[in-house]
Amino acid sequence: MILAELTHLKKLSDVFLQILERNLSTTALTWLQQKIALVVAEEKSVQLHLCFSHLPRIASKGKIDLLDEEAFRISELMPGFMINDWTLDKLSRIWMLMQLPSDHKENYVKKINSLFATAEMNEQIALYAALPLYHYPEEWITRCEEGIRSNIGTVLEAIMYHNPYPAKFLSQPAWNQLVLKAFFTEKDVHLIVGLNERVNEALKATLGDYIKERLAANRTVAPEIYQLTQQTKP
Amino acid sequence: MCCNENFEERNKGEKITTTLDLTEISGMNFFDPHVHMTSRTTDDYQAMADAGIVALIEPAFWLGQPRTGIDSFIDYYSSLIGWERFRSSQFGIKHYCTIGLNSREANNEKLAEQVMEILPSFIFKEGVVGIGEIGFDDQTAAEEKYYRLQLELAKEAGLPVQIHTPHRDKKKGTQRSMDIAIEHGLDPKMIIVDHNNEETVKEVLDRGFWAAFTIYPFTKMGNERMVEVVKQYGPERIMINSAADWGISDPLAIPKTAVLMKRSGISLADIELVTYRNAISAFAQSGQIDEHDFIKIKDIDQSQKFASNSILRGGQQPRIDKNSIIIS
Repeated sequence: MILAELTHLKKLSDVFLQILERNLSTTALTWLQQKIALVVAEEKSVQLHLCFSHLPRIASKGKIDLLDEEAFRISELMPGFMINDWTLDKLSRIWMLMQLPSDHKENYVKKINSLFATAEMNEQIALYAALPLYHYPEEWITRCEEGIRSNIGTVLEAIMYHNPYPAKFLSQPAWNQLVLKAFFTEKDVHLIVGLNERVNEALKATLGDYIKERLAANRTVAPEIYQLTQQTKP
Repeated sequence: MCCNENFEERNKGEKITTTLDLTEISGMNFFDPHVHMTSRTTDDYQAMADAGIVALIEPAFWLGQPRTGIDSFIDYYSSLIGWERFRSSQFGIKHYCTIGLNSREANNEKLAEQVMEILPSFIFKEGVVGIGEIGFDDQTAAEEKYYRLQLELAKEAGLPVQIHTPHRDKKKGTQRSMDIAIEHGLDPKMIIVDHNNEETVKEVLDRGFWAAFTIYPFTKMGNERMVEVVKQYGPERIMINSAADWGISDPLAIPKTAVLMKRSGISLADIELVTYRNAISAFAQSGQIDEHDFIKIKDIDQSQKFASNSILRGGQQPRIDKNSIIIS
């Protein structure tokens, strides 16, 4: 099972580079390309960690300037995936991850997992937003489930919003947890990729109980919950 | 770090029913360069934000009991740059930290060796503004060894150092900390010597270091004494902090001291230096502090409200009325 053909991932990487070339200063772009050469060449993960941590000092944390045709091309290559509100350091980080050699599965997975292990808040956001772009997609299912347990709202959003990975790869119980967590943490569920497509009887039943619980507590119920369960508001 | 466990004495006496009035300093911004938020509640975050604290530094420290394995250190450092940073942002307070091996746990040499190996993975992270808090507690040989190793690390990384000076034998411990830093070729302007008192401040300033004072009941500085120190030495290279932690301490120590300074006739410009500007100047040498972020962290949550409803991005905490007996 795959989200995108390898050739599509390569094309996405090219679009990202095009955006970076327009958004990054020449110095920053040169710095990034030099670092990536080191990251690609090393057996260990020292340069990878240094480059990943250092990037916000080189690239700006401002929002990227994205052309309409670029946004369209991205949605063609990976339906549901959107980078419109990404910052420049986030895009730079993720583009760098896409250049990691993936021939040796064990080493590739180990390197990315080591980044997760010591990630600060914004690094976590970038690492989770990149879930659909990693090779060996089945390897990240547990990681994605772990991320949904996070209490950091922005990390949850990185997994939930405009990210096609969860709908494609999560088991039904894990997917249902994601949706429930989104409602519990008052997320904008319209931004969840696959929300309507993956609705199922178990989820409907749980959401039905949730509606009763909210009403019993005199709390409001989000209108989207009624839509998903196909119940009418009492 | 305190404390005397005499709860009978502590709970005796009348309960306090008055409320704190900080209107005299309303509109002022404060920066607390030493506060252990991991040990504090969300009520503290709310009170700090209300009192004008816009940013803070959380130094890595001893958690009240010793850790027994390296993973506990990894998780602790990760929480300082992850969960705690997010928790703080929910109240619009910009959170920075310093990363280091504290003096007490330097005495567990086997573990200390492992900690030294993982420190480089954390010190270059975004928002890490120095190596700290490091230095002496008992002034043992092991403490000295890891203090020296971390000074070298700071020098290599070009990061400021936040030095914890010992409670016992403070004057000699402070002198020794400075001597060793000089011996390793560090520039005093990159070093913040913390927990000063009337006995240590003169030498710290004379030798060109930053002098931090911790306003902490019973065991460190009281703020009336602090006012006298500022009157005597002026505001240059002096900063105050709360070092609030799991002991009886006060996360509002800075705004309260600002009120006291104002009442004592210290100029607003000098108060600003001691309660805000000097700490920023010292720790911004890390290249990791941008004052625009203090405003942005508040704006982001407001501007990213979704158009149709009141959902706040990342989940900023709604304010609750603490004086209402209704909990809904």
